[in-house]
Amino acid sequence: MTSNNGSTNETVDILVIGAGASGGAASAWLSEAGFKVKCLEQGYWQDPSKYASASADYEFEMMTNWAPDPNVRQRDEDYPVNDSASPVTPVMFNGVGGSTILWTAHTPRFHPSDFRVKSLDGVADDWPISYEELEEFYDLNDEVMGCSGINGDPANPPRSPRQMPPLPLGKDGKKLISGFEKLGWHWWPSDSYVNSQRYGEGRDACNFCGHNHMGCYQRAKSSTDLTYWPRALRNGAVIETGARVHRITTDDSGRATGADYIDSKGNEQHQSARAVIMAANGIGTPRLLLNSTNDAHPDGLANSSGLVGKNLMFHPFAMIAGTFPQKMKTWQGPLGNIAMSQEFYETDKNRGFVRGYTFQFQRSLGPAWIAKGGFRKPIPWGEGHHELLEKRLGSTMGMAVIGEDLPELHNTVDLDPELTDSDGIPAPRITYTLSKNSRDQLDHAIENAKKALEAAGASDIYVDPMMRQSGWHLMGTARMGNDPAGSVVDKWGQSHDVDNLFIVDGSVFVTGAAVNPTPTIQALALRTADYIVANRQDLKG
Amino acid sequence: MTTYTHIDQTLLNSILDRLLPAIDELASAGQMNLSDEIVRLAAQQARFNALFTAAMNSFSERHPSFDSLDSEQQDDAIRSFEANNAELFDVLLSISYIVYYKDSRVHERIGWSGKSPQPDGNEMEPWDESVLENMRKREPFWRRTDV
Repeated sequence: MTSNNGSTNETVDILVIGAGASGGAASAWLSEAGFKVKCLEQGYWQDPSKYASASADYEFEMMTNWAPDPNVRQRDEDYPVNDSASPVTPVMFNGVGGSTILWTAHTPRFHPSDFRVKSLDGVADDWPISYEELEEFYDLNDEVMGCSGINGDPANPPRSPRQMPPLPLGKDGKKLISGFEKLGWHWWPSDSYVNSQRYGEGRDACNFCGHNHMGCYQRAKSSTDLTYWPRALRNGAVIETGARVHRITTDDSGRATGADYIDSKGNEQHQSARAVIMAANGIGTPRLLLNSTNDAHPDGLANSSGLVGKNLMFHPFAMIAGTFPQKMKTWQGPLGNIAMSQEFYETDKNRGFVRGYTFQFQRSLGPAWIAKGGFRKPIPWGEGHHELLEKRLGSTMGMAVIGEDLPELHNTVDLDPELTDSDGIPAPRITYTLSKNSRDQLDHAIENAKKALEAAGASDIYVDPMMRQSGWHLMGTARMGNDPAGSVVDKWGQSHDVDNLFIVDGSVFVTGAAVNPTPTIQALALRTADYIVANRQDLKG
Repeated sequence: MTTYTHIDQTLLNSILDRLLPAIDELASAGQMNLSDEIVRLAAQQARFNALFTAAMNSFSERHPSFDSLDSEQQDDAIRSFEANNAELFDVLLSISYIVYYKDSRVHERIGWSGKSPQPDGNEMEPWDESVLENMRKREPFWRRTDV
């Protein structure tokens, strides 16, 4: 993949920090409207034909060079994260496409109630926008990314026709679903940004290799390097890779003027811009804002509320897996794109907690993955190993529980006083504890998952009450709101403090809902871009 | 304290024999001499290689006479290492499992194709909408916010 030459530092209209899910969406839409856009990305373009899924050593690559945890992957472009004070390890990918390179592309939407948790349930805060206000941008994003799915889900509002039919359920998926059918519980084929047929530019249908979480060799899984970025580049947007931003710069009046960064050759650079859009994820964005202190912003940029880095939300994940008596080739088909159940999504106070959770159905992979545990502890070594391996291989399935995590001030991202990246830039430090409400949700979900697995005929059931390496969903650390004292950005993603600074990643979430967040992140990014096009022509040079 | 600058592959094969014993006609992992491939693969990432080397060094230091122990004593030694060095043991076990299950002799025994996931992928039956018959009958139950 080629990109435009990003070596010049002429003033641009819009400087985007981060080329992932949201940065790609915002860049494409703003460049389409004639804004001069440049993106600084600390990682690089990926070549899908070199993804590890075509390597004989893919199992090793999955736990080393392609691991989702940057502390394990340790590529030059990664930054370390101090997660010693968190039971959840943040995971991400740095490169063009960001974490959409390694995601499973399971893409449900928020429910209308997710935007009204204060009004409905008396917890946290309502969002300053509604589902209905975001809906057209969800639709737009589905069209660009390409959604396989089917309308009619009774757990969700009606939505526009999906671009492609659902991915096949497989014998294994149907088996797991049989448990939900017996119990009379909701299930529905997952909306997935994985092609069930050819869709988009040069993107094939999924060939069910089972490893799209390692990067999709087929280009069947949607990632923004394949969708938004080609569009943005054609519009004249520029992306500079290997560009590690360490500070958003401001002028005497406190307005953003661009960013200081270290280029791929190790040289200090400055990129000036009329506006800056932060799209560096729920950890990277507060890290940069907190590192952008000066006399006018002694506590970090856009932080007069003191909320930059506060209210960190993950989705606490539990995993419940079982073994079926049938051999079902459970390694065939995308790992986590079968179906979901939202039977327990909406609040029922009789359950002893507020809000709810989604079950995301999960396949399993090949023999080494099964032996190493997969969703569970490794199969014991020694006598008995072979028998258990043969029992579980091809017959292990599970359910991930995605619970709604509510914002809490004590869950934070701040700058580590000692740890730095390879350029000496302070690394983020995560402090996080699981709330009682979240724990109660997970416990409720675990009991129900066991019932569903048993109803489907599974035995040998294993529970991981909270997966450590599950921090994909990084949310809440620069929340939106109408009140400048209680939020970092307004309902358009514009900083209350700095009128030419916008945030479009998961940082702006007020609450986290109980679904994978990327479609919502991208819809919000498109909405912010749309606002800039309509209302901020002053940012055009 | 002994500091190894290389992996003691004799020791590694002895450990492998206990981790993945012989089954049916298939020899144990050590007898299959998987240590060469383990050492090669571990070296593909610096972080992993450092942990793997540390695991082997630590094991050797704790159990310098491992090869002279009988099978039961060897299992006890491994269990002791596993209990006291969980992170390092996990590294050792992971690379052992990965290399064992990429071996064609093992594939033949368990009936695994051994192909990398790509480029061939897999076949699946096409989507069949009839599975939604029951769910289609259910009334919408998402929570409305406009009432």
